[in-house]
Amino acid sequence: MYEIEIDRSLCSAYGTCIDLAPDLFELSDDLIAVARVRETDAEAAVKAASACPMSAIRLVEIRADATRRAA
Amino acid sequence: MRSDPTFWILARASGLLAYALLTSSVLAGLVLKARPFGAALKPAVVTDLHRFLAMLGLGFIALHASALVLDSTVRISFEALFVPGLVPYRPLWSSLGVLAAELMLLVYASSALRRRIGARAWRRLHWLTYAVFALATVHGLTAGTDGGRPWALALYGGAVGAVTAAAGWRALVPATKGGTTRVRDRDRPLAV
Repeated sequence: MYEIEIDRSLCSAYGTCIDLAPDLFELSDDLIAVARVRETDAEAAVKAASACPMSAIRLVEIRADATRRAA
Repeated sequence: MRSDPTFWILARASGLLAYALLTSSVLAGLVLKARPFGAALKPAVVTDLHRFLAMLGLGFIALHASALVLDSTVRISFEALFVPGLVPYRPLWSSLGVLAAELMLLVYASSALRRRIGARAWRRLHWLTYAVFALATVHGLTAGTDGGRPWALALYGGAVGAVTAAAGWRALVPATKGGTTRVRDRDRPLAV
């Protein structure tokens, strides 16, 4: 399970994440991607984070005892 | 017998073009951050333009350096292109150009390696762009053959004015809010 983080200063609204995972991402009015869900375990989230041209998406793995950076 | 001025002319023209492309890339980067045109300009398009202009600028810097080595007006060794101080022609001012080119290459490379070095290191390295622009401006004005001509002064003056104005705009007008967005930061219910 991951928590989605988006670096607002990096996001340039390429929309790659929305193309790859429309259920997980959308574009805000100020043209910054935002997550539509709090947590996800969808493979599409990993694909979207890897494909972001600005490397603006980070997935933080959620564990019962600790969290660590996943992507 | 008079030597062929082709490479000398090519060096001067490519140097000026590289400076114009660097200026344009810096301006595109500032527009991307400050977003003075709102949603009218797509950030992704500006980002692509910013990257393309920087890459093209580096290409013209390579052409500028190659033409200087191939030209016979001033004897410049291949090593002098990488080590500041080895160019015999106006050594101090030429060194600034070498330094500017190396820093620009570093900044460009850091963007390609952003995923590896992390956003914080990339952002810090990107601040070097202002130093690159300043070094290139002084280099062009002091080492360039055409630096004192009215049209060249207009080019450098216009570039400095435009970058100063854009940087001022970015500093004074709130840019796109930074930080990290998580869904829990939003004030509306979850969509899914």
